[in-house]
Amino acid sequence: MKSDQNDSASWRHLPVVTFLRKKKVFLHLILMAVAAITIVPYVWALSTSLKTRAAVFTPEPQWIPNPMVLVNYMEVFSMAPFGLYLINTIIVVLGVLAVQIFTVTTAAYAFSRLTFRGSNLLFVFFIIQMMLPVHAIIVPNYLTVRHLGVLNTRLAMMLPFFASGYGTFLLRQAFRQVPRDFEDAAVIDGCSGPVFIVRILMPMAKPTFVAFGLISIVTHWNDFFWPLVVTDTPSVRTLTLGLAMFVQQESGADWTLLMAATIFVTAPLLVLFVVYQRKFIESFMSAGLKG
Amino acid sequence: MRKGAFLLVAVCVALALGLGSCGDRGSARREGEPGLVRLTFYYPVGVAGPLARVMNTYVEEFNELHPDIEVVPVYSGDYDPTMQKVQTAVMGGNPPDLFIVEISELPTLLAMNGIEPLSAYASPEYLADFFPAFLENSYDEEGELWGIPFQRSTPVFYWNKEHFAEVGLDPERPPETWQEVREFAGKLNRPGRHGVTISGGWDDWLFQGFVRQNGSELINYRERRVTLNSPEAVEALEFWVALTQEDKVAPPHSTWASTPPDFVAGQTSMLYHSTGVLSFLRNSAQFDFGVAFMPGNVSFGAEVGGGNIHMGRGIPEQNRRAAWKFIEFLTTPELAARWSRDSGYVSVRVSSYDLPDMREYTDRYPEYLVARNQLDYASGKMMAPAFQEIREFLKSALNESTAGNMAPRAALDRAQRQAENLLREWLP
Repeated sequence: MKSDQNDSASWRHLPVVTFLRKKKVFLHLILMAVAAITIVPYVWALSTSLKTRAAVFTPEPQWIPNPMVLVNYMEVFSMAPFGLYLINTIIVVLGVLAVQIFTVTTAAYAFSRLTFRGSNLLFVFFIIQMMLPVHAIIVPNYLTVRHLGVLNTRLAMMLPFFASGYGTFLLRQAFRQVPRDFEDAAVIDGCSGPVFIVRILMPMAKPTFVAFGLISIVTHWNDFFWPLVVTDTPSVRTLTLGLAMFVQQESGADWTLLMAATIFVTAPLLVLFVVYQRKFIESFMSAGLKG
Repeated sequence: MRKGAFLLVAVCVALALGLGSCGDRGSARREGEPGLVRLTFYYPVGVAGPLARVMNTYVEEFNELHPDIEVVPVYSGDYDPTMQKVQTAVMGGNPPDLFIVEISELPTLLAMNGIEPLSAYASPEYLADFFPAFLENSYDEEGELWGIPFQRSTPVFYWNKEHFAEVGLDPERPPETWQEVREFAGKLNRPGRHGVTISGGWDDWLFQGFVRQNGSELINYRERRVTLNSPEAVEALEFWVALTQEDKVAPPHSTWASTPPDFVAGQTSMLYHSTGVLSFLRNSAQFDFGVAFMPGNVSFGAEVGGGNIHMGRGIPEQNRRAAWKFIEFLTTPELAARWSRDSGYVSVRVSSYDLPDMREYTDRYPEYLVARNQLDYASGKMMAPAFQEIREFLKSALNESTAGNMAPRAALDRAQRQAENLLREWLP
């Protein structure tokens, strides 16, 4: 019995075990497995995009293309103006986000800080807007855009998303968590209204803004149906519409081209996240009231 | 710092509004010219290849030939997105002048009053040169013409000649009957390789062909008759179950997009799929393969697929006349033949195949003639109001049978009940 305990104790103090525990090796192994599951499809897509057509469906999966070719990317670019699509996508995504930040912040401020008659009912309407699927309101939206005479423009792609029930909801919750004490202190120092929003509320809700920004960017980057419906010419169209050119119902896809296009369409977002990863995470570690 | 952020937002907003509203509408080449008729033309791309570019070339040629008409081609994704874009535009009071959608959408287009009748434009001589099977999906129950065949396909049978030689079958002789399919598949089946694959995804479409090979039909649109559970249909589904469950020589489930790659990778020796993948197989397969009629039972049999051209409802008279000129242009024997060579679709015009260019092409690639020859045994694609839902009923009956969860008769009886229930008002 005693020796058993001794054994287990000595086992616990083996240098290998200490190393494993200190460096959290098991946790890392699990994380690495999860990361691999996430990354493998992307790597396979990258690999396929660099293959010749005949090398895609070999009995043995071929991870490193042999021969490695860039013709797929060239062919993709010759089939549609992807550079233009990229610019359009960036304009639409940033345009939507910029207007959203303004509308969502002011709406959330009203719902969290101001008391006025019917505010609860109004908020319920905002929540309902969040639950309506895009497809259910596509015709009214189309009519609106048509009557404004902006069909087939970038503005048409952005217009329905300028207000966001989801963003308002998120920010209202975030603003509510900012204690009254801050507002009182600010008012005493002669800072109220818009200045208070910009100087105090927005910085304190930064993690929520970052989270909402990420969601907004990814949603509109990937949006397909609305841009398809309201645009006709390549000069205003976005990346996802270009990508759709490589998926076919009758014959199945042209895999090498589809993967090359997919890599091109997803790469900018991927680069963005890799570059700003640290900043995103930092923004979630914010300070509050002390003591 | 704060000011910088504000400035950034302001610039973004200005950029969004400014650049956003200055999108261009079609080519400004002949903007504002009096007497110019501008036509919007939505088209999907159904098979792989640079077909959007091909289509733009045709449109440019048409516009060159007709200085008073400008067709603006609008690529609108796959068949389903195209149909959704058409529906939104029609309901939004802004119908496209011309569009191509999948052929079984006709009852839906009629129900939403979205298309113009075409009998007044199409002469009997013009229509006589179309393959009759391709025209079947163009007419409503009263015999009015609503669409013109354009990008059209039909399923065919592919077999891997190397696998045939390997198991001692004659590589030049494909199976011609269901019984032979079953025998050959038994010989060809190996661990990691199926003897035969009846592609999933559009399996309801393939199933229609099997029922026809058995001497019956599933839906007769013009006579308003639905017979999903006829003895012939049950027997056809029992044949599928024999392959998937009893012999286990065919996969019970697959997707439309994955089976051609499976065939190319040698994971299935025989394949039922659209003629639309022939070019893909030719470019990808590193072995010799053959193309044949789908094997028959009572007789050979097939059904057609693809897309028809329609004219949007309520467009001005001058647009209608111009639109018809464009339809005629796209369906001349010469252009139909060119389109067939560019895309792999079957030409919709009979006389296309007598043109010198086309003869030379089919002499070089005789496999492209198989689909055309099979048209003698083909019928139109089944269609009905609310067809997408009926398709789902039928597909779940097929899937549950091939998975071994339900007997073919019970599954098809259920699909029939569901369809009758849904179509109560339409059925006589």
